[in-house]
Amino acid sequence: MARIGVFVCHCGENIGRTVDCARVAEELGKLPGVAHAIDYKYMCSDPGQALIKQAIAEKKLTGVVVAACSPHMHEKTFRRACGSAGLNPFLCEMANVREHCSWIHEDRDAATDKAVDLARFIVEKVKRNVPLETIRIPVTKRALVIGGGIAGIQAALDLADGGAEVILVEKEPSIGGHMSQLSETFPTLDCSQCILTPRMVEVYQHPNIKLMAYSEVAEVGGYIGNFDVKIRQKARYVDAANCNGCGACQKACIVRKVPSEFDEKLGKRTAIYVPFPQAVPNIPVIDRASCAYFKAKAKGVKKDACGKCKEACSKGAIDYEQADTFVTEKVGAIVVATGYTLYSIGKDQPEGLRGYGEYGYGTIPDVIDGLQFERLASASGPTAGKILRPSDGKEPKRIVFLQCVGSRDPAKGIEYCSKICCMYVAKHTMLYRHKVHDGQATVFYMDIRANGKGYDEFVRRAIEEDGARYVRGRVSRMYRDGETIKVQGFDTLSGEPVVIDADMVVLATAIRPQPGIEQLAQKLSASYDAHGFFNEAHPKLRPVETNTAGVYLAGACQAPRDIPDSVAMASAAAAKILGLFSKAELEREPTVAKVDAALCAGCFHCERVCPYGAITRIEVRDRKGNLVKIVAEVNPGVCQGCGTCQATCPSKSVELQGFTDEQIWSEINALLA
Amino acid sequence: MKELQELARTLLSSGTVGVVIGWEEGPRGARPAFITDAADSSRLIFDHRCTHNLATYLSPRRPHMARLGKAAIVVKGCDARAVAGLLRETQVKREDVVIIGVRCGGVAADPAGAKPLTAETVAERCPGCTAREPHLADHVVGEAQPEPPGAPTRDARIAELDAMSAPKRWAFWQAEFARCIRCNACREVCPMCFCERCVGDKTEPQWLESSPHPRGNFAWHVTRALHQAGRCVDCGECQRACPADIPLGLLNRKIAGIVADRFDYRATDDPTVPAPIGAFSMSDRQEFIL
Ligand SMILES: Cc1cc2nc3c(=O)[nH]c(=O)nc-3n(C[C@H](O)[C@H](O)[C@H](O)COP(=O)(O)OP(=O)(O)OC[C@H]3O[C@@H](n4cnc5c(N)ncnc54)[C@H](O)[C@@H]3O)c2cc1C
Ligand code: SF4
Ligand code: SF4
Ligand code: SF4
Ligand code: SF4
Ligand code: SF4
Repeated sequence: MARIGVFVCHCGENIGRTVDCARVAEELGKLPGVAHAIDYKYMCSDPGQALIKQAIAEKKLTGVVVAACSPHMHEKTFRRACGSAGLNPFLCEMANVREHCSWIHEDRDAATDKAVDLARFIVEKVKRNVPLETIRIPVTKRALVIGGGIAGIQAALDLADGGAEVILVEKEPSIGGHMSQLSETFPTLDCSQCILTPRMVEVYQHPNIKLMAYSEVAEVGGYIGNFDVKIRQKARYVDAANCNGCGACQKACIVRKVPSEFDEKLGKRTAIYVPFPQAVPNIPVIDRASCAYFKAKAKGVKKDACGKCKEACSKGAIDYEQADTFVTEKVGAIVVATGYTLYSIGKDQPEGLRGYGEYGYGTIPDVIDGLQFERLASASGPTAGKILRPSDGKEPKRIVFLQCVGSRDPAKGIEYCSKICCMYVAKHTMLYRHKVHDGQATVFYMDIRANGKGYDEFVRRAIEEDGARYVRGRVSRMYRDGETIKVQGFDTLSGEPVVIDADMVVLATAIRPQPGIEQLAQKLSASYDAHGFFNEAHPKLRPVETNTAGVYLAGACQAPRDIPDSVAMASAAAAKILGLFSKAELEREPTVAKVDAALCAGCFHCERVCPYGAITRIEVRDRKGNLVKIVAEVNPGVCQGCGTCQATCPSKSVELQGFTDEQIWSEINALLA
Repeated sequence: MKELQELARTLLSSGTVGVVIGWEEGPRGARPAFITDAADSSRLIFDHRCTHNLATYLSPRRPHMARLGKAAIVVKGCDARAVAGLLRETQVKREDVVIIGVRCGGVAADPAGAKPLTAETVAERCPGCTAREPHLADHVVGEAQPEPPGAPTRDARIAELDAMSAPKRWAFWQAEFARCIRCNACREVCPMCFCERCVGDKTEPQWLESSPHPRGNFAWHVTRALHQAGRCVDCGECQRACPADIPLGLLNRKIAGIVADRFDYRATDDPTVPAPIGAFSMSDRQEFIL
């Protein structure tokens, strides 16, 4: 026979004001199987908890129901109290008579009746609870960081400094991400490369970091503490072990006019290349698509295919036969730091987005985007830091900057604010004035969002000291008139239409997630929003975690982020992971699914629907070792307790522990009775 | 017929299989046959009375079948879809069964009927059937057959039911289900009802009342129909087996129509096409999520 204890809490006045707690305790005390029922001012206080512990000992309770606030608040508290009194913590449950009752009702009698009902059905559930054991799983103290931008670099360094081993996977030939392309950075105007490259080198030299550039994550298996990650190392056609980074191959390369990705197509590179001089690792790759050797081979030319780089390399490091290789690494946690890409205004757009026909779909010369301007302004860029327009190399005397191109424009498919553009546009106007003293910058803006430390002052400086002219309004049309670009807009402050002549136009285009990031998210079982940004587990309280345990977020892959934000997220993710790694074993709630192997028919509908890949197949054999059947099994380390399998299984052969059909059924029955 | 018998003989005498599941002449028309001795192969028949879907005997939950060894099974095109279902849902391994397809010109609703196949005697599912040529087969025997007689009737009846007001439709099904005696014949004969323990037999909690009572009857039929959504192969066996003449085929067909409309899935003998229950496609309509 069950001996349930019911503890009704007043929560000070919070519950007691609307619910007659004494009556709730009295009515619950009359139920069969309830051995003890009392009310108290603050159940969660030390004396309150003492009452529970004392009753467990004295009345030999087999279960505890605390009718109080939300289990989110205090379930742990009360379960711990029960545990310390020798009762299995999972025999304790809460009835929420605050959020579900006192806070939302006024009529004292009716609220009290409802509180009785709420507690009553939990009593029925607890009668059917069984002791559960906390799940303990071992932790591999190595982390994987995906993406080597500033966010990934920071996360890797913090983790490595904290004593964890790190594998940093970067898809491009070099780490550095977008920050390596920037000239100077707001709000301090310090040189981006100067603060970034020391960190890149540190990553390269850190004994705890294994850098895998030019690599991608192919598969992810396992679960928190125990991921198995298969990584594809793309063929560089250069043997990294022999290459000393001398650069002779690049000098010898006959293909010299490939548009440079790093210079945003404003500069050229060779077919064998390192993206930029400070690249880490400083090992070139051959871009197969433009290499003369590979092109000739593809055409079937047997002899006399180029081979100039191979001849030039004194180390014999060029290897045209190199193939992609795969390695599998075990890690305990994963940081996603895949960053962003820029929206472009062209006609061809991914699904859901639209280009800007009114701005000529990107066909007007000298209309460039923010990253291109960064390259023009950068001392290491294609113009050696001179602001020269791409079409004819002349110095533009009038530049118009457009904010919110794509962003905050539901008609183009992006309704969110890209957050960083207000700031970098202000920066661009300053860099422009510092380099072209008689140049006039005009900025079209919707409103200025400069809400960081020193940010508003920065924008003010652009306007007040560096003479940027800010026009509030949007540009409705842009067209070419000889060498001039006519920018036609509306000044909403004066209420006048305006047409501004420009020599060059810089578009602050929207920040978008990396293309194809959905596939990576699916490999990680992590969720993403309608735009493809990774979802955080909770927007306020768990901003760097995902809903998949063990997978964390840093930087612009989660939402548009500037460098300070990205770095803060990276350090936060590292701190979370170091916390995880500080324990020998992980503790998980045992409310996970469990298959009844005797009943399972092995149809594997559950396997197909499980969003976390928690279902595996196992063989059931008889005593002689003959195969009887193959059934489903839940990996408790992976299962997140979502219950999808339970809902799907036709024969109800898999159930969530702590939320079995029988428990739910008895709750419903109690309410209907 | 000779071709079928010869094939069975070879399969049995060579030891390729331990049993050939087919049809034979019985006291009341055609009936399932389990031939284990090559000499008995001449008992096998195939004609328009062979309406039974024999795939149900492949279910691993039939230990008396397992004892007979590896099976060869004779399937009409529609039955092959059930074999595909069993393969898809990992009940049977492809290498563990030899599939003998027969070309079908329609079957009678009643296997006992000695009468010729006409628009009156043909099974509901046959007119307009597009599955008459078996694809999922190791051997296909027999000549190509003429189209089954008659015109499809079920969709017109479904349209009639759809046109009814909800209370009238409810009353219609209540009256039909009221006759159910809960014998479970529909489930036992169904090749896709292969669960180890049917939810209908579950106690603690008993989700479905098991006595013949309107409430439990309704719950049972709705549950079974939903469990067959996207899995039912439209073999008509449940309806044929029902001693109370409940038009279960209408219910299954209605749901199959919804599944086809929403998930672009139709019963198929291609086991690699995933059943919609576990398949997610970006084009699935999900307006209910918002
Ligand atoms: C024009 C412009 C000017 C800016 N100026 C400033 C400024 O002055 N100050 C400031 O604070 N911020 C500035 N920013 C913002 C700054 O660029 C970002 O805050 C920062 O780069 C975000 O870093 P990240 O590491 O999150 O992303 P990224 O820099 O985008 O790095 C992501 C990295 O991940 C790699 N990657 C992507 N997908 C994969 C994959 N599947 N597998 C492996 N690797 C992958 C990428 O190759 C890349 O190296 C500016 C942005 C723009 C567009
Ligand atoms: S859905 Fe149910 S019966 Fe099918 S494999 Fe999973 S647990 Fe077993
Ligand atoms: S409850 Fe079931 S579906 Fe959900 S994660 Fe666990 S095993 Fe997968
Ligand atoms: S529900 Fe009926 S028609 Fe469908 S597969 Fe089962 S027996 Fe055949
Ligand atoms: S009705 Fe459902 S639970 Fe019962 S045997 Fe058929 S599929 Fe399985
Ligand atoms: S066969 Fe007919 S009577 Fe028997 S359970 Fe099924 S529907 Fe009811």
